[in-house]
Amino acid sequence: MQFILLLVVLLLAILISAGVGAVAIPAGVLLRSLAGRGHLTDTQRTILLAIRLPRILAAAMVGSALSVSGLLFQGLFRNPLADPYVIGSSGGAVLGASLGVFLLPPVSVAGFGTSALLAFGGAIASIALVYALANVEGRTPVVPLLLAGFAVSTMLSYSSYFLEVLDRGFGTGMRVLTSWLHGTIVQPTWPQLAIVGLMLAAGLCASVPLAQRLNTLALGEEYAAHLGLDVQQTRIAVIVVGSLLTAAAVALGGLISFVGLIVPHMMRMLLGPDHARLLPYTALAGAIFLLVADTVARTVMAPAELPVGVLTACIGGPFFLYLLRKARAEAFL
Amino acid sequence: MKELLTFLDVSFGYGECAILSDFTASVPADARIALVGPNGAGKTTLLRIAAGTLRARSGDVRLHGRPLTSLSQRAIARSVAMVPQDVEVPFPFTVEQFVRQGRTPYLGWLGGFNPSDRDAVERALDLTDTVHLRSRIFNQLSGGERQRVKIALGLAQNPRLLLLDEPTQHLDIGRQLELIELIRQLADQGIAIVAAMHDLGLIEGTFSSVWLLSPERSVRQGPPRRMLSPELLEEVFNCPSHRAVSLPQLLLVPKEATHS
Repeated sequence: MQFILLLVVLLLAILISAGVGAVAIPAGVLLRSLAGRGHLTDTQRTILLAIRLPRILAAAMVGSALSVSGLLFQGLFRNPLADPYVIGSSGGAVLGASLGVFLLPPVSVAGFGTSALLAFGGAIASIALVYALANVEGRTPVVPLLLAGFAVSTMLSYSSYFLEVLDRGFGTGMRVLTSWLHGTIVQPTWPQLAIVGLMLAAGLCASVPLAQRLNTLALGEEYAAHLGLDVQQTRIAVIVVGSLLTAAAVALGGLISFVGLIVPHMMRMLLGPDHARLLPYTALAGAIFLLVADTVARTVMAPAELPVGVLTACIGGPFFLYLLRKARAEAFL
Repeated sequence: MKELLTFLDVSFGYGECAILSDFTASVPADARIALVGPNGAGKTTLLRIAAGTLRARSGDVRLHGRPLTSLSQRAIARSVAMVPQDVEVPFPFTVEQFVRQGRTPYLGWLGGFNPSDRDAVERALDLTDTVHLRSRIFNQLSGGERQRVKIALGLAQNPRLLLLDEPTQHLDIGRQLELIELIRQLADQGIAIVAAMHDLGLIEGTFSSVWLLSPERSVRQGPPRRMLSPELLEEVFNCPSHRAVSLPQLLLVPKEATHS
């Protein structure tokens, strides 16, 4: 029931987002033409198919990927404050992706694919590093986790600037890198969307068998191991799948912060902490959240566009601090 | 009586420090065994070895005659349930969601629950008298409720043997007696019990055997009357006994204990 409600909200968000911008397409006109009882002007059609729809899909997929990877990492670290941005996996993905951009032109399918693959590798490496640094006897307390994540992610995202030196002339590499570090959803091409769509689909499917295992892992590693859970295998699977989703998000949107924190938390407040139940809702709510945020980001200061990462940082930062305070009050440091 | 779990010349230690050496004992299917000994004597270690989460350095631990090392942890967890002392849950799981984790060794690849899993969870809640707590948040329970719910998780595993690590610790005397009563009921249901116990007054009448662990000596076994003698306790706990007590003392004893 709630799932259908969320689906309706997503459709509404798509409809509204498709309509707003420099050239307005009223929702009524759009619906009539979809029903075959009216026509869009050529300009409207071009804008819809070449600009708005790809952008809508990109925002929805990035939001979904970030939210689900946040959910997975929170389960892995047994800590509701984990988020792909906070724990440095986004930073690793950006560094990996930047390498790809400077190796091959990012507009080509091969170039984008390479970037996405390197982003995946970067995310895995950074999360493994943060996990090794922050793990104290099977627990990852808030303070070491945040410090390790902060240090690793700062190191990684700033080392992307080294690549600036390598960039000869005024190549596209630098522009792409800048937009990544700001967290901008760039105008994607359809092949790019297809690649990210595949990564997202694979990540979501692979998350399904992990969800119940994360519930067991919440009891602690030793207890989970006693109950017959293969802790090591589960941890590796979560790191791989979470990194795949982070890489999918970074490939299209760069460093977008706190989405993986806000969305799972809101869903947990509404539906409780069962990961198996949270998974589909988090995927859907993440899509809605970032689609709305991106629509606001591209229209609120029109004709200028705000990077959506700026917007999520503005909402997510205070939210993160609130959660941190709450975590201290509940004393699971 | 058929033996459920046997320890054969089991040795274990952390680093240089030996905790158990050449320990041989058996847990019959109707066991009610209390582990008694000072902190660090190896009570929890022994329980972990029995639960399969720690591996003995040498020797053999057998479940139904088969070495634990030859069984998967899933198979072990279907016969042996460990109720640890402290459980920390970072998310607000409800009691029901918490107890459902006891079905982990039975779940398939996707982790879906079938009717027999649901039945086992209901039975576990029922046996521990925690049905009314099912929607409460585990982290917000009182000490006594928490302890019962932890035992419910163990029972959801459908175990033949229940290992309890300090089940009465941090409980007020009323809750302690309730918990002892629960342990008796479970033993009457045919579940073997091995419990590390600090509250020596709760042992007699409920447990039929005591394993006395001390850091220097090998494990001694015997009925509570003999093992809980002042002389032995004085030696094991390394403390002079104060037999002349000037203050009035109150000892609460579980109901049927007086005539057993």
